[in-house]
Amino acid sequence: MKISTTRFGDINIDESKVIHMKEGMLGFEHLERYALFIQGEKIPFWWLQSVEDGSIAFVVINSLAVKPDYEPIISDAEVKSLEIESPEDAVLLSVVTIRSDPFKVTANLRAPIVVNSKKMLAKQVVLVDSDYSVRYPVTEDSVFPEGKENPETLPSVLAL
Amino acid sequence: MLILTRKSGETIRIGNKIKITILDVKGKQIRLGIDAPIDVAIHREEVYQMIKQQNILAAGYDDSIGKSLSHVWNRLKNPKEEVK
Repeated sequence: MKISTTRFGDINIDESKVIHMKEGMLGFEHLERYALFIQGEKIPFWWLQSVEDGSIAFVVINSLAVKPDYEPIISDAEVKSLEIESPEDAVLLSVVTIRSDPFKVTANLRAPIVVNSKKMLAKQVVLVDSDYSVRYPVTEDSVFPEGKENPETLPSVLAL
Repeated sequence: MLILTRKSGETIRIGNKIKITILDVKGKQIRLGIDAPIDVAIHREEVYQMIKQQNILAAGYDDSIGKSLSHVWNRLKNPKEEVK
């Protein structure tokens, strides 16, 4: 299918790369279909582009890239609703906020987007009684995660 | 909005499965006990609002910093350099 986006122009997206975001993102509950856009393999930031509204896209980062020891507690009910059968199926993404002046980048660790990469199901899960910050600073020490958390486990679309 | 008056120790029910009990009232603070099925997520409203506001702020980023995310990444890696 072809979608028109404000940032990347017209982009062709294979249906298999569409992520179903259950209940939408908070504040954007009416949008439930997204695709992950990657702009370069060495950049840890990606775009989570709405397939339904070309003007809506979030910058996201693999949560483990920001905080390698990140261990959010996701309830059994959420795991079940996302049909996650083993930890390898799940990828955690954090919404990134980029401020221009002064330049500051933060990631939301309090409400990770849990993605079942096999079933292409996702949900923004608000952690219960967690100390993880909504505005966790992303610094130059943030690294590209290696191994199984690598973003390549998520189907993505190259958008330049 | 439905408004009910309850005393400490009293309970209200929402549907068949959710029960909210007033445990304690001390000055301006009220302690609530909530019994609900495991698949019902319970959060303080302000946490929800904070995350919603952060999502809206994040979605408002419009590339004005640079043409692409590589620009943002380069600037993070070289915080002291002015990237043009």
